[in-house]
Amino acid sequence: MLSYEPDETIAHRLDPRSKLAVQIGFAATALAHTSLPALVVLSAVTGVVLAAARVRLLETLYAYRFALVVLAIAPLVAAVTFGSPWIDVEDGLTSLRASYRVLLILLVSAAYVRSTPVRHSRSAIQRTIPGKPGQMLGIGVALVFRFLPVLRGDLRTIREAMAVRLGTERGALERLSTIGLLGLTRAFERADRLSLALQARCFAWNPTLPPLSFSRVDYPILAFAVVLALSALL
Amino acid sequence: METHRESVDPVADDVVRSFARAAILAALLGATAPVSIPIPISPVPITLQVLFVFLAGLYLGPVWGPFSVLLYLTAGAVGLPVFAEMKSGIGILFGQTGGYLWGYVVAAWLIGVMVHRGTELRDPAEQPLPIVVVALVASMVVIYGMGVGYMAWLLELELLEAVAMGMVPFLVGDLLKMVAAVAIVKSKRITQVRP
Repeated sequence: MLSYEPDETIAHRLDPRSKLAVQIGFAATALAHTSLPALVVLSAVTGVVLAAARVRLLETLYAYRFALVVLAIAPLVAAVTFGSPWIDVEDGLTSLRASYRVLLILLVSAAYVRSTPVRHSRSAIQRTIPGKPGQMLGIGVALVFRFLPVLRGDLRTIREAMAVRLGTERGALERLSTIGLLGLTRAFERADRLSLALQARCFAWNPTLPPLSFSRVDYPILAFAVVLALSALL
Repeated sequence: METHRESVDPVADDVVRSFARAAILAALLGATAPVSIPIPISPVPITLQVLFVFLAGLYLGPVWGPFSVLLYLTAGAVGLPVFAEMKSGIGILFGQTGGYLWGYVVAAWLIGVMVHRGTELRDPAEQPLPIVVVALVASMVVIYGMGVGYMAWLLELELLEAVAMGMVPFLVGDLLKMVAAVAIVKSKRITQVRP
């Protein structure tokens, strides 16, 4: 599974905002170009990004294995035609190039995931999106990180309880509505306790955040992100 | 030493409550990613995600429902493994399933607007059944429209090919989820909807 790993690479030292900018720029230009030369350039950029964050390629490809299956099937589906000649190679190749760029976008985002701790992302969100929406999004993301394991546990409890009562023998519809109902009820109970706890701790619009600052390395990276984004217009 | 003075600007009580619900529901959306239920007719097992997107629109309304889904997408984008098959990263939002994920936000908003008709929350159980059903169907159309459309454009597929890959295998499961959402609303067991 992909997650943050402490390390000393260049990517780890960068400000999260410039890393986010690079990803968005990269995605923009990858979505705009599918020609072969463009893909070669994009692959080279991906290679540099992966090296900068010291991402292990094979492990990452393994983590994305299910996405890769879809990306591999798409060109086949595109190539098959009804009626003679049955296989349209040109169509398949076009789709293959399109699928390949999606893989590159996924790999670049894996570099961000490996090199950025959550609290940096939260800080970046809160400092980039102005005002109350940014605050809500920043705190909300932190809460989602905190509560994910708790709610996974809740769901597991519900499913185990259902399995013990032969829930696995029942129809899909009944299972779905039982999980939905119990999951939501438990979640709302937790939310009410959480809101009480937030109020008790003086939940405010202006808390103190960890400082973020651009270092000298960040400026060329930011410029690179702008170049990537603009290259989408070429 | 320099002192820094700032007065505290507390968040209003009703906002805290809605916000807490949206955040927890976003975590629940993430927690459902690895849960799947096999169904006999379709090769693809059901995941619960869409069901909770429906419930977000139904019970949180047109503001906090989409906000909850947006939180889920943001948490996934910055590295929490909450997308299908425990993936994460901003790339997924641009990848072949990105259209569906963005569609979830619009779907939750659409259900909220149609069922609550305003920012004042109403109990969905007290709304006429046709409104709830039409809202769910409309949101399903939005999710598939955005999902299949984006997949076709991204992978350079013909529309029919994209429908075969991105819609047909999931259709039975999603219909079941709509029925389940209606059953949950009509059971009236989710109470205290108002903030």
